[in-house]
Amino acid sequence: MTAPGLPEHTARKAWPAGRAFAVVGGIFGCLFLTLLFLLAVDQRQVLEGSQRLQDKTIPTTLEQFRLARNVEQLRLEGERVFSGPTPVARQQALFIVSLLASHPAMLADARTAALAREVEGFLARAARQGMSEQSYAEWLMLSNRLSLLADDVSIAGVNLATDDLRQMSSTMVHSRFKLAVVLALVAAFVGVVLFLIHRHLIRPLQVMDEALLALRSGQPMKPFPAASMVEIGAVEGAIGQLRQSMHDNEQARQQLVLLATTDDLTGMFNRRHFTVLAEEELKRAHRYGRPVCIGMADLDNFKQINDRYGHAVGDLVLQSVAELFARTLRQSDWAGRYGGEEFAFLFSETGIDEAYRLAERLRQRLAASPIEVAEEVCLPITLSVGLADASGGSLASALKRADAALYDAKRQGRNRVVVATATGELRTGRFKAADREGGQRPG
Amino acid sequence: MAASRRRATPLFWSALLALTIGVSARAAEDVLRVAVLSNSPPMSYTDSAGQPAGFNIGVANALCEAMEVRCDLQVVSLQQVIPGLVAGEFDFSAVSLLNTPERRAKVLFSQPYYRSNSIWFARPGVAPGAAAARVAAVAGGAQLRYALAQGWQTTAVSHHSEFPALLASGKVNAVLIPMATALTLRQEPLIQSLGLQTKVMPQNELSGDVCFAINPAKPELRDRINHAFDRIKRDGRFDRLNTEHLPFRLQ
Repeated sequence: MTAPGLPEHTARKAWPAGRAFAVVGGIFGCLFLTLLFLLAVDQRQVLEGSQRLQDKTIPTTLEQFRLARNVEQLRLEGERVFSGPTPVARQQALFIVSLLASHPAMLADARTAALAREVEGFLARAARQGMSEQSYAEWLMLSNRLSLLADDVSIAGVNLATDDLRQMSSTMVHSRFKLAVVLALVAAFVGVVLFLIHRHLIRPLQVMDEALLALRSGQPMKPFPAASMVEIGAVEGAIGQLRQSMHDNEQARQQLVLLATTDDLTGMFNRRHFTVLAEEELKRAHRYGRPVCIGMADLDNFKQINDRYGHAVGDLVLQSVAELFARTLRQSDWAGRYGGEEFAFLFSETGIDEAYRLAERLRQRLAASPIEVAEEVCLPITLSVGLADASGGSLASALKRADAALYDAKRQGRNRVVVATATGELRTGRFKAADREGGQRPG
Repeated sequence: MAASRRRATPLFWSALLALTIGVSARAAEDVLRVAVLSNSPPMSYTDSAGQPAGFNIGVANALCEAMEVRCDLQVVSLQQVIPGLVAGEFDFSAVSLLNTPERRAKVLFSQPYYRSNSIWFARPGVAPGAAAARVAAVAGGAQLRYALAQGWQTTAVSHHSEFPALLASGKVNAVLIPMATALTLRQEPLIQSLGLQTKVMPQNELSGDVCFAINPAKPELRDRINHAFDRIKRDGRFDRLNTEHLPFRLQ
């Protein structure tokens, strides 16, 4: 799953974000669709129930009401058979009774058909045999049964609609519950997705942002926590690679800078870098009118050491001298290996008197510190130094004058510091600044 | 302003003319020709003002109102109903017709709006099918067709109003009539003294679903009429008409 070369932590088992969200979405989608389907079924049941109520139940209920009305009418006509004002009216009532008793709707219901036939027969007999109190008493019982039957038929019609409405109501209650579940499911889905996005996308991105900020500020990068998404893991791996690459590049750059600016034997600035730094410092000193001095130094009789003890000992001597320089010079002083056993110095913010004292201290310490080149073999090393005030001229001029002073120190017997005056005259040993203009040698 | 008003005036009249033509055309489309009877009380008769009245007339008007159309009632005899519908002279008939296979082959029928049977209305001792029976029935009706099919001595009449005189004169001693018509005939003063007796005829040819017949070329009208029947039955108009014209519920 992970590209080759990515950090190891990205190679562990993880989910592709698209697949993970598709799985989550799929699960919720299936549940959602299932509930929607159930809701649609309920809705269809309600619609069908409503349609059934309108097309079948209500017409059937109305037919029941009409049948009940006819049963009641049968009772009224029967009453008229007994109490009609004229024989014709009573015959007409009996005729209507016979019509009602043979009415197809009346015959379609077993209870009404049976009672209507019984009523028709009773009234026909009563009409033939003449009305009596006994027959009227029997009629009252039949009349009561007709009233009860009319009520029953009406109630049966109402119950038809009630059953349909109860069924629809039950379906609606279930639908409401399912709708609530659907809404809860949607809310849960949104919540889960937001949680997953925050946990597996936003938070890792925040961690990456923090890591990149740390990288920019040079701080070491913390390892990423385990990413559960492949894509996030891949980005983390890429950031890790970038960080490693930047680290390697920085090390290489530092190595190159070191190689370009220092002498690999002594670790001091090389001649070119020293010259560049000295040029910049002289410009700064000249711009602000600050004192600055240049020194040139050479180890005395170094060729004999090389000849006698070999170049390895010579190199050891050079390294030891460089270490002594580093320990003795101030933080603000610059020293460089100018070539062979020759060294250059720049004393910034330093007048020639102070530079002389510094150079003299350096010379004395070296002279007092023989260098152990082998077991029980210590070589006394001395140093000749030429100093020049560089506050007013160019670096080349100052180096030239310092070199001349060095030459003069050598000529005077080595192991000494010689100061070149501004006019090019040389002074050796202790001197005061006021003496420089006079060009006299120190005593 | 005046020039623009002059330009607007022809436009206004043109629009008004187009609207009038459109409304007239629509009104012409929405007029239905309805065949009705005038001599079959209480279902159809002519009232004291000379206008068609009765249960079927009321139902026809209610249907037209439910269909939001204007109906042109045209009085015909029963035997003219089916041929007139077949010939396209009417859009539908507001006449109680039994839904028989013979009629179904010629015209369309609405949904049943009630169920009926037929009444044997005869002098005492005259039974259906008796050798002495001389029965009268209305031409074009299922009752006449049944009587003829039975081989009875049969007299065809054009109108129900002819029955009392025929019975009173003794030219016929029985009539075979629809259930609703018998209600009115039973009350005729001319036959009160005859002591006529009634018998409900349960035969399939004489009873069953009663419908309105519809022009066979207009099946869409059948659907509209059926929906209109549903409406007037649900909203109570049908039952109010029933109560107005008949002593009991037809359906």
